Amino acid sequence: MSLRIGLIGAGGIAREHLSAWRSLGVEVSVFSHAGAAGLIAELGGTEVATLSELLGCADVVDIATPTPTHGDLALAALHAGLPVVCEKPLARTAAEAERVIEAFEAADLPLYPGHVVRYFSEYAAARAAVSAGAIGEVAVQRFTRTGSAPTAAWFHDDAQSGGIVLDQCLHDLDFARWTAGEVATAYAQESMAGGVRSVQVLLAHRSGALSNVCGTWARPGTRFRTTFDIAGTGGVLTHDSAEHPLLQTDFGDQPVAGTGRGLLPAMAYESPFQTELGEFLAALRGGPLPRVGARDGLAAIRIAEAAQCSLVSGQAEPVAGTEVAR
Amino acid sequence: MRVGVMSFAHLHAASYARLLAVIPGVEVLATDPDHARRPGESGGAELADALGVAYEADYAALLAARPDAVIICAENAAHRPLVELAAAAGAHVLCEKPIATTLADAQAMTTACAAAGVQLMIAHPVRFSPAVAELRQLAAGPLGEIVSIAGTNNGRIPHGERAWFVDPAAAGGGALTDHLVHVLDLVDCLWPDSRVRSVYAVANRLLHPEVAVETVGLAALRLELGGRAVPVVIDASWSRPDGFATWGGLTLRVTGTGGIVDLDPFAGRIGGHLNSTGNAAWIGYGPELDALLLDAFLRVVAGEAVAVPDGVAGTRSLAVVLAAYESVRTGQPVDCTRTLR
Repeated sequence: MSLRIGLIGAGGIAREHLSAWRSLGVEVSVFSHAGAAGLIAELGGTEVATLSELLGCADVVDIATPTPTHGDLALAALHAGLPVVCEKPLARTAAEAERVIEAFEAADLPLYPGHVVRYFSEYAAARAAVSAGAIGEVAVQRFTRTGSAPTAAWFHDDAQSGGIVLDQCLHDLDFARWTAGEVATAYAQESMAGGVRSVQVLLAHRSGALSNVCGTWARPGTRFRTTFDIAGTGGVLTHDSAEHPLLQTDFGDQPVAGTGRGLLPAMAYESPFQTELGEFLAALRGGPLPRVGARDGLAAIRIAEAAQCSLVSGQAEPVAGTEVAR
Repeated sequence: MRVGVMSFAHLHAASYARLLAVIPGVEVLATDPDHARRPGESGGAELADALGVAYEADYAALLAARPDAVIICAENAAHRPLVELAAAAGAHVLCEKPIATTLADAQAMTTACAAAGVQLMIAHPVRFSPAVAELRQLAAGPLGEIVSIAGTNNGRIPHGERAWFVDPAAAGGGALTDHLVHVLDLVDCLWPDSRVRSVYAVANRLLHPEVAVETVGLAALRLELGGRAVPVVIDASWSRPDGFATWGGLTLRVTGTGGIVDLDPFAGRIGGHLNSTGNAAWIGYGPELDALLLDAFLRVVAGEAVAVPDGVAGTRSLAVVLAAYESVRTGQPVDCTRTLR
């Protein structure tokens, strides 16, 4: 069955998604307030002028817009009877995400959140090893994520983006929960100076495992880098995206274009966006459920909101929906 | 499409069978009639069962099923008769490396496949790494004129599961036979117009002195490339200890007037430590190169024009290996100008 994707947005994530959809061989219509024509000229697709036109021609809606618009756009797609792929976070708040999920569940329509880190091969391989018991029971895990601060203004308005916790750390909060289970409490601290912003989050999982998630929006030009260190009763798994490149180059003083690819680190050959959207596509065509569901997206937002509460209160905060029965 | 696996002597057969078995539209048959040559080692119908592929009693029965293609995983010295049988049956051939142990065998195999109008492809998976495609682009531009090339293909000695790897008659030699050809194929695919002009090689058995073949081997080639004699050095040793955390690896460093590029296609991995093995964790997550190799082969079988290492390239690589052994014997470089036109 040939599906037409209705992509909303033309920013950084929309670019990755459009490129991935094109590689997957599906037709894409794009609606955006700005930038759609340029993106289409480069990557293909068809521009449509209005949201209703998009909802009229699409079989699936892919929401790749700024965070505060996710919830309303998802509901608009729902009212048009269309399944939705939505970039993370699923909505600006947990309450909004919950409303959206309940509406989709009531309508029995698929809703998939774009937690793409689950599709990076190194993270997927780590999760598979942990699931297979390679390191026994997870005791403590550490995740870091560093990159140059996003340039669009809305990212830096916490009312819109939810700040670095909801935008950037959300990836690792979701992954930490995937490997170590539900989170009971979160404690967070944050600092910002000269356009550089760091946040540190400590999680206590219900299993007793502990996680440390660090995120930094660094100065312009900082290379994108992630690390993890997952220690359990049977061993430890480590990874640093800056280590062990498949290809290392040194061109001296000769200027040679960098090998980074958009939002991906250099040398990530299998685009995790393509793996992710391919899995969503297969599910929409009747295949197995994707490795991430809407309720995972909600759980990640709840952990982020506990961390945001902690930033304000200075206290460790319980994560909603996971209170431990006494 | 029907694909036959002929012999389980080379353990890559298991990897190929497993990967083929999950490709929609591909039916896999296997036979391993010479399993008795490998007492105590896995093989035969039992291994086919474990891999979930259909088993035929012998080569004739397998070819009677009219496979579109076969993969030959016999011992190095036993490739020729199987390739000739497959070609006569009209099946395209993917043959384990090295192509053979003598030039006469390699040339006969190439001729037989050409005469039958079937592809002869040699199993060199590394050239299908996306990192190699990227290196090819760099080599065609920013790297400038190539000044030197250094390659490695090191591994654990493979005789634990398959003893024939250290049997000079069945394998043709040791580490030089097993590993030189992978680096040679990379050079061949990156610079198709290059030709090896001379080979100097040294070898020893200081690691695993109990086996009858060389376990350490180094080769220094002079490669005619862009009108210059480019020095190429290759370490082909089985120099990873038995307890090493992974099978080994392959690297290539290319130094040019424009810069230096280091290729390490197996680098992508999760590290750490596992109590279960008492060893470093080494969980590779890069693209599966055997799958990319099979994909290229199946596309050739389906009639697509795909650049693959063929019998001529395999014969060229074998000639360099044989020259390396001659150099080890004589202690001096061997001129390959006449054998490698």
